[in-house]
Amino acid sequence: MPSSTSNFKRILRLPRLFFRTPTREESVHGGPPLEFERPIPALPWRGMTVIVVLLVCAATFAWELYARSIGYTPTLNDTEDLWAQVRRRIQPESLVIVGDSRPLFDLDLDELEKGLGKRPIQIALAGSCAYPVLADLVNDDKFHGTVICSVVPGMFFVPGGPLLETSEKALKRYRTQTVAQRASHHLGMFLEERIAFLKQEDLTLERLLAKVPIPNRPYAQVPPTFPPDFQTVDHERRMRMIEKCAQPGELQTRIQQIWLPLFTPPPPPSYVPKEVLMERMGKAVEARFRDTVATVNKLRARGGKIVFVRFPHSGELKRLEDRLSPREKTWDPLIKSTVAPGIYYSDFPELSGFTCPEWSHLSAGDSVEFTKRLVPHLRTGLGM
Amino acid sequence: MLFNSLTFVVFFAVVVTFYWSIRSWNARKNLLVIASYIFYGAWNPPFAALLFSTTAMDFWLGARIARAQGPRSRKLWLVGSVAMNLSMLGFFKYGNFLLENFQWLIARLGVIYQPPHLDILLPVGISFYTFHSLSYTLDIYRGVLQPTKSLRDFVLAVSFFPQLVAGPIVRAGDFLPQLVRAPGLRVGQFLWGLLLMTLGLFEKIVLADTMLSGAADRIFTYPGPLIALDSWLGVIAFAGQIFFDFAGYSICAIGAALCLGFHLKDNFRFPYAAIGFSDFWRRWHISLSTFLRDYLYIPLGGNQVRPFRAALNLVIVMFLGGLWHGAAWTFVVWGLLHGSYLVIERVIRIFFEEKAWANNFGTRFLAGAATYGAVCIAWVFFRASDFTVASRMLSGMFGRHASGDAILSTREMLQVTIVTLCMLLVHTILRDSNIETAVTRLPRWTVTGAWALMACAIILTQGSSNAFIYFQF
Repeated sequence: MPSSTSNFKRILRLPRLFFRTPTREESVHGGPPLEFERPIPALPWRGMTVIVVLLVCAATFAWELYARSIGYTPTLNDTEDLWAQVRRRIQPESLVIVGDSRPLFDLDLDELEKGLGKRPIQIALAGSCAYPVLADLVNDDKFHGTVICSVVPGMFFVPGGPLLETSEKALKRYRTQTVAQRASHHLGMFLEERIAFLKQEDLTLERLLAKVPIPNRPYAQVPPTFPPDFQTVDHERRMRMIEKCAQPGELQTRIQQIWLPLFTPPPPPSYVPKEVLMERMGKAVEARFRDTVATVNKLRARGGKIVFVRFPHSGELKRLEDRLSPREKTWDPLIKSTVAPGIYYSDFPELSGFTCPEWSHLSAGDSVEFTKRLVPHLRTGLGM
Repeated sequence: MLFNSLTFVVFFAVVVTFYWSIRSWNARKNLLVIASYIFYGAWNPPFAALLFSTTAMDFWLGARIARAQGPRSRKLWLVGSVAMNLSMLGFFKYGNFLLENFQWLIARLGVIYQPPHLDILLPVGISFYTFHSLSYTLDIYRGVLQPTKSLRDFVLAVSFFPQLVAGPIVRAGDFLPQLVRAPGLRVGQFLWGLLLMTLGLFEKIVLADTMLSGAADRIFTYPGPLIALDSWLGVIAFAGQIFFDFAGYSICAIGAALCLGFHLKDNFRFPYAAIGFSDFWRRWHISLSTFLRDYLYIPLGGNQVRPFRAALNLVIVMFLGGLWHGAAWTFVVWGLLHGSYLVIERVIRIFFEEKAWANNFGTRFLAGAATYGAVCIAWVFFRASDFTVASRMLSGMFGRHASGDAILSTREMLQVTIVTLCMLLVHTILRDSNIETAVTRLPRWTVTGAWALMACAIILTQGSSNAFIYFQF
């Protein structure tokens, strides 16, 4: 049986390339004679800790200065926790906005409150299909309020994939959010309102690594790039485009070029024949139409109201959306089948004169004016 | 409450401050009990009551076992404890699984029965705290532990928050003696605990969640055929992810316990440098493998029986070990694969262990590589959501999808390769050592720099509070 000394020597057997030989004083020391006592490395812990704290503080401060120097300002992250927090504010008679990122940027909550007499609750989700959120809201038997629903056909009628998952993840967080998650969210908001580099969509290690320009295999099916942060977010999830993006420049052009592949459907997968895929897609879109009609009828049966809105979009993106999801095959049948009021921005001269700087959303200034002009149409549509 | 959340940072700072400010040892233990129940209740408050009821029952049953006069009554009380713990685990964790399999079985006999789907919410960490608690009655029965007279102490031993929900599985016999005398505040121990917590969070947030989980998730959820390179990289990424995730949690737990003056045993010892599968299980999730060894394998006869029976014992233990991880047949196959590996290794050892070439560098290197490869193959069943996914993954790995898809970006491939190579290198260098020895012998500026770098990387990563994989078990 090996002695404890030989065991100790065996434990210390480390390659000399990396580790120096320990001095007698530096050998691992133990504490009271308990079997489960862990050894504590004999190091100058106080001095080392002071240096670590100083280094981490200096690096964090430098990173914050750098983030501010390249245009970032402290603002909230639009997380599932923030969404769940806002979702919980919905009362039976609330005015609720659902949809994609366009109502987040394009609707001003103050102007809507002035025009419609109620403070709206913003639960639209960027990069999502609005249907699961709408269905969840209507499935709440107590709810008989008013819904403003944004429709981007390519997103609203999507049969599956990341756009649906975004909505489902947010709903899951709303249903299962724990006390600890709520507490972390509030602490996180406190920091996000003060520290510029806390940008989960942009300045995390993962996103920074993704920006390293490394060419991919020519045949690799790599997911498209997402746009960098170009907005501020407040507690009510009102998003405002930052001025740097609203003005022509590198950021604006970069985002424009990111939208095009993001809005283009991916090539059909190799493992499903194209005909089968098209048939499945067709059935899924038909089912979405049917489900939406049922959802709208359910809401109406309880005295609730809904109005669908198509928000402005511009440039190449508008041409792409018009080509991929033409109005006569998406918007028009939706309005016809649900018999719900619909506001298509280009039908009204006062709503169609806006240009989206990065092709998909209005600037912060334009969003206020757009909302002012939209309110009379909403009042008409909702019979107010 | 997750270790990688802001709530935990504040919670831990408050607990540690009060803990070391209070002079009375009893008051400090009371504080830890309250803190542990807050830590657990922050997920779902009613489950804290379930935790307490399990603990209280085992406390009472432990006393009954110790007081029982004859071996028969001792055994009866033990059976009561085991039945209570396993039925609790069975109901919450395996209820639907058992019903589904019962439905399938009687359908084979021609009986159509549609059982109701039980809407059971799994209490987080139930597999861990059930074993914490069960070890108490088992050790009293085995005669290696005297029952404690303090319910509060036993409640703390089971619910001590650093190890409560995802291990290590700390036996009451290892923890209760530490509650006898108040530990003093030792600066070196406290700061070493903080360094270990930083290392654990770095492993979880930076290495598991940021560098590896993306590739693993994309590969395992891709519905089509994949080429061999992408399939293997997905599996290797998961092998690294689960190690950093679970070992990261264990190191955090050990560090947090040290900050409070408690000592928890190692749960991992550089497992991917294992040479052979028995070596792997001496290094991977040590608290579970020793639990199964002491309370299941040895009572079954261990290796003191005929070779066939010993092999069967191994397979039974690994079968149950697989089932412990989750209520799905994929976990059972994972366990059975490891059981088979152990049996095969035992047979190989009988024939070749004494050969001179069996212990040279080349053979050991090849055996280590084969161990890692076989462990990775077993991980396919652990990660796959069902057998269709597992079968598709294995087909891809063994080149049956030569014209399959390639979905990983070059960046993902580089991340997986670099992190995995670094991990294997570190495991190989330290396989006969431990982290304390390594840190002692590294230059101080290296330890300081690495500590600062890990802390900066955690801040830069801005963790999104992803749950640890082992929370679901």
